[in-house]
Amino acid sequence: MEDIGRFAINYASSLGATYSEARIQKDTNNTTIIKNGVSQFSGFIRELGIGIRLVINGALGFASTNDLGRDSIAETVLSAASMARVAATTLKKPISLSSSQTRTDSWSVKQKKRLQSVSVEDKLELLFELDKSFRTRRGVKFPARLLSLSEMITDKIFLNSEGTCITSRVPRVALSYMITAYSPTKGTAQRFNKRGETGGWETILTWNLTESISEEAEILSSIIKRGRKPPREELDIVLGSEVVGIVCHESCGHPFEADRILGREAAAAGESFVTVDMLGKRLGSTHVTVIDDPTLPNSYGYYLYDDEGVQAAPRQLIKNGIVNTFLHDRATAADLGIESNGASRSTSYAREPIVRMSNTYMDSGDYSFQELIEPISKGIYINSFMEWNIDDRRFNQRYVGLEAYFIRKGELTHIIRNPVIEITTSGLFTSVDAVAKDISFSAATCGKGDPQQGAPVWTGGPSIRLRKVRLGGS
Amino acid sequence: MAATCVTEDAKLIRFTNNHIIVTQAWRSSVVSVMVAVKKRVAIGSIEDLSRSSIKDSVNYLVKIAKSTKPNRDYISLPRGPFKYTAQKLNPDSIQGSSLVWYVRDAIESAISSGAERVAGALAFKNIETELATSSSTSGHDSLSSLEISVRAFASDEASGQASSCARLEKDFHPEQAGQAAATVAREALNPVDGKSGVYDVVLGPNVFANLLNDVMFAASAFNIDSGLSFMTSKLGKRVASSNLTLIDDGTLDDGLNSRAFDDEGVPTTRTTVVENGILRSYLHNTSTAKKFKTSSTANAGWIVPQPWNIVVEGGDLHEEEMLKELGDGIYMTNNWYTRFQDYRSGDFSSVCRDGLFRVKGGEITESLKGLRISDNLPRILQNIAAMSRSRKWVKWWEVEIPTLTPSVIVRNVRLTRSTK
Repeated sequence: MEDIGRFAINYASSLGATYSEARIQKDTNNTTIIKNGVSQFSGFIRELGIGIRLVINGALGFASTNDLGRDSIAETVLSAASMARVAATTLKKPISLSSSQTRTDSWSVKQKKRLQSVSVEDKLELLFELDKSFRTRRGVKFPARLLSLSEMITDKIFLNSEGTCITSRVPRVALSYMITAYSPTKGTAQRFNKRGETGGWETILTWNLTESISEEAEILSSIIKRGRKPPREELDIVLGSEVVGIVCHESCGHPFEADRILGREAAAAGESFVTVDMLGKRLGSTHVTVIDDPTLPNSYGYYLYDDEGVQAAPRQLIKNGIVNTFLHDRATAADLGIESNGASRSTSYAREPIVRMSNTYMDSGDYSFQELIEPISKGIYINSFMEWNIDDRRFNQRYVGLEAYFIRKGELTHIIRNPVIEITTSGLFTSVDAVAKDISFSAATCGKGDPQQGAPVWTGGPSIRLRKVRLGGS
Repeated sequence: MAATCVTEDAKLIRFTNNHIIVTQAWRSSVVSVMVAVKKRVAIGSIEDLSRSSIKDSVNYLVKIAKSTKPNRDYISLPRGPFKYTAQKLNPDSIQGSSLVWYVRDAIESAISSGAERVAGALAFKNIETELATSSSTSGHDSLSSLEISVRAFASDEASGQASSCARLEKDFHPEQAGQAAATVAREALNPVDGKSGVYDVVLGPNVFANLLNDVMFAASAFNIDSGLSFMTSKLGKRVASSNLTLIDDGTLDDGLNSRAFDDEGVPTTRTTVVENGILRSYLHNTSTAKKFKTSSTANAGWIVPQPWNIVVEGGDLHEEEMLKELGDGIYMTNNWYTRFQDYRSGDFSSVCRDGLFRVKGGEITESLKGLRISDNLPRILQNIAAMSRSRKWVKWWEVEIPTLTPSVIVRNVRLTRSTK
């Protein structure tokens, strides 16, 4: 396959490209789905093709094909070059790419138990076993249950005209479920959740799924049976890891993507309230440090080189409340006169690489969970969420709690239903006055780009405490 | 057994800050196969189209199918042959250079209409679909489309969004999209913080199309079964005000997603989902139809029935009468990020985006920012008070299924904002 990539790069050069890269990518995805205790289907998606990106006359062009014959590849390179050439006639400023060290490397994620060795029967047995957890509890039924188990392997060969050549293999597993709980007198509550990691089948065995899903069923039935209305007055709020993770992803990761800051995503995913001159300025309290780290072992968003061949490293986006760095690819880094920090990702051979998050989380602090809630005289604790959204400048967001409790005099008392946090990004990060040690992560699929690209990521963090926030939603 | 081969030839140009940032072209042929062995279903899709690869994949699918558990809801594919109506519109062949000029037209039009910055995406797609089933069905279909989405900025906080989409080049108007986006952006200058409250609102076509995509998601019989619908057990009942008649139409000549047949080979049709506010039909494939004791609506998806083109019948008001009819309220031109707390109840929120205006005495009085719809989708459908006569096709990043819709007036919509 490497020779195909070299052929594409050499042909691009012969057409006048000043830079070119080829990414041959094979994605194999096996999925099994059951609904309401009935097998729906088992199946697979096998993608294999080549994506070629080049710079010609200062314009950037991308083209892809899944026909790996040389004639087809030549035609694809020509297609990228000819469209870029026309686009170049309209350019005010040619694109430039930051310098990048030339690398030859190969990396992979090891599997202790190979994904291919697990039969469809075994996967179904696991799903049916988990589905049994949703038996009627205290009069609460679970009439709708959708469970999906997927394993994916991504093989890539990346080459560019500067001499970089990186090969990689990443296996991933993911389990997701959407559950509806129902009581004739109390209505419905729904829970979507996803677990995901890189690695082999052994990772699933570490998730204690039977126990955790049984706990989900118990919590859903408690929410329905015992949930009360949330309070109205200003109070203190403790957010659990799952909620902190989505906050870090939506309110720090996305607005710190340099392509948004520079306007590149303006028409679709949007821009950012963050500007380049905010570097070094305060955005949150000193307790807030947010990191995006592609190199976290076993993480769902794991990689060691990005899709421009740049070596990955952790990025401290917010450091002790100060805007520290942005997420960059080689184009945005060049615009700011720095080097890329390896945040360029593509989800398929047929998609251009763009600036993406990997695993975004808030760094842990010194508090125990008990120490977080102890000084609160009146507050709420939100451990999970269902509905969320944020404006396209990433400044006004909303998270609606699912599992949530009232806090009175330092103790969790009763369950409350659907508390709404509707808050600005600066309002949220400046309200943090304590951060716990209990860090954990959730798997998610992040959407961005045009056409849309769903990238595997982790979101995470410890429990945190916000002071003096009024709940929203009315 | 059923198989499709979809060949897509597409070009896309993304532009921002008034110039093109990347051109893209992709070409792929994908074979998808569904096999059922004694109600045990397996589905695969492959891109290596050599005969040996296809043969190996089908063998593997049969092996998987035999290993899986029966899907008791599965029903054999409908027996053909069927007669299909050929698409009346032949696809255009458009060069990449023409697309670049269309982008230039949109940018220049927006700037001359008052925009400082212009961003967007233009896409041209040509899709060929071949289908064959073990039930004596086979067919060929082709579809081409042109879409441009333009977002114009008169300042960092004053933007407008407009689109043009068409099957044929002669119906494609990127310069009008640029002008319309810039007109909204200019009007949106100097926005002030909106106040939470319950308002009567005009939802422009972009907003209503976004919500209708979720309504049609809720109308898919698979999602009814999955607990993902507020329309469960509502057939024959009122789900909207009598103003709303909502149709799925796979046969439209100008539909951007029209198809001669669905994935089971059934000829596509026009299905009235909501008629004068009454829920008349879910969207079905053969298996879901059998389960719900009705006929397929030709919306397969082998597993999940999907809408083709969403169509809303127009109302009585001229577009310029909409604000006058609203009187006092809010006019929304666009939204994004619609998310549900509970699909069964329809509780959701969606963030206002681009031009958002306070209306008093039937006139726009100020530009607003920072509001979101925080309400319930069934309630919004019930509270539709009026619709414009004119309709617009909408399809862009936040509206996946092409939707032909008027503007609507909805009474008593809850809008909220950040508290800190």
